[in-house]
Amino acid sequence: MTPQQEIEALIAQVALGDRSAFRDLYQRTSAKLFGVCLRVLNDRAEAEEALQEVFLRVWDKAGMYQVNGLSPMTWLITIARNLSVDRRRARRDPAGGLDAAEVVADSAPGPEAQAVARSDVVALNACLDGLPDGKGDMLRRVYLDGASYATLASETGARLNTIRTWLRRGLAALKECLEQ
Amino acid sequence: MTGPDETLPGGPEAEAAEYALGLLTPAERARFEARLATDPALRAVVADWQTRFATLADDLPEVAPPPRVQQAIEAQLFGQRRPLWRQLLPYLAGGVVAAGIAWGVMITGVLEPADPHLYADLDARDSGYVLLAHWAPDSGTFMLRRDEGGFPQDSSIEIWVIPPGAAAPISVGLMQAAGLTQIPVPDALVPAMTPGTTVALSLEPQGGSPTGAPTGPILATGLLGVRS
Repeated sequence: MTPQQEIEALIAQVALGDRSAFRDLYQRTSAKLFGVCLRVLNDRAEAEEALQEVFLRVWDKAGMYQVNGLSPMTWLITIARNLSVDRRRARRDPAGGLDAAEVVADSAPGPEAQAVARSDVVALNACLDGLPDGKGDMLRRVYLDGASYATLASETGARLNTIRTWLRRGLAALKECLEQ
Repeated sequence: MTGPDETLPGGPEAEAAEYALGLLTPAERARFEARLATDPALRAVVADWQTRFATLADDLPEVAPPPRVQQAIEAQLFGQRRPLWRQLLPYLAGGVVAAGIAWGVMITGVLEPADPHLYADLDARDSGYVLLAHWAPDSGTFMLRRDEGGFPQDSSIEIWVIPPGAAAPISVGLMQAAGLTQIPVPDALVPAMTPGTTVALSLEPQGGSPTGAPTGPILATGLLGVRS
């Protein structure tokens, strides 16, 4: 089995309430997912709480995994990113610009943690960088910092609907670029 | 149905991306999710966007969380009552709990000699299903009434029973897309209709499980019992 298939098999066992599979899944994926929580929240204590929430969600939703059409790491990363973004947006006083350099890496991503082929990462970054007017960086900020339209509007001084129009054009262009 | 604002560029594709990124307003998100529930193609578009953006996490460093995180998770999940479906797993294994409940049912006299009607409230937080299963021994009919939850367009929902001590779920049949599902139960399956039997619904390919065992996610479960 590939690491991907192994993670998938663990999720299937977790769906049946298998605690040892759940522990195994945690061992294999928590460092990657903690990295995601830390990147979005840039706060250790909050990232720990978010990670806790991620695995509670995984335990509860493992039975629904098969219907969502995602690869196992994409599913897990999406949960970690979304829960972290929810937390970050709920802050009364949003933290300033995040600095990924503040996060100290323990190790390079292991094979399980690689949700996608390296070529996909390169392609996505190339397409984002190719979007005009810094739209690529805006999209990165939306995904990794949880920036909302309101945040982007107040940062750039543009009207919210203008930002939305820009970003939606950017999304359409991104898709076109990735499909080439 | 159309998106939140037809004057915005990018159409449904961009809206799916906004949904994946969490950029829709609560009202837009609710409308979008209502469409998602019935539109597999739209779900696939969302999955594509989630996959594309998750790529951004690939460059993030791994950081081992402190052990207290795992301890907190386990305490929360396993330190207290377990969710319904997991509580029922011992039945599959023929566990002591199952035997205990069957025994308890008998010594308390709940199990009348005149083959009582049995009911099971089926519930599942995740899938939104609320259903009532009913075994009528006099007519030999198994019935299922759907109170909450939609019916998938391109799949079937299969009904399973897991009697106490059984090694595997047994298929009863498929749920009707609309109205009350009524299934005449073959004689061989009648002994399975007993108090303490688990009733479970799973999402299956059209026409039911190709393997004879549940292949899709479990949508709802409940326990057959006597109603006073």
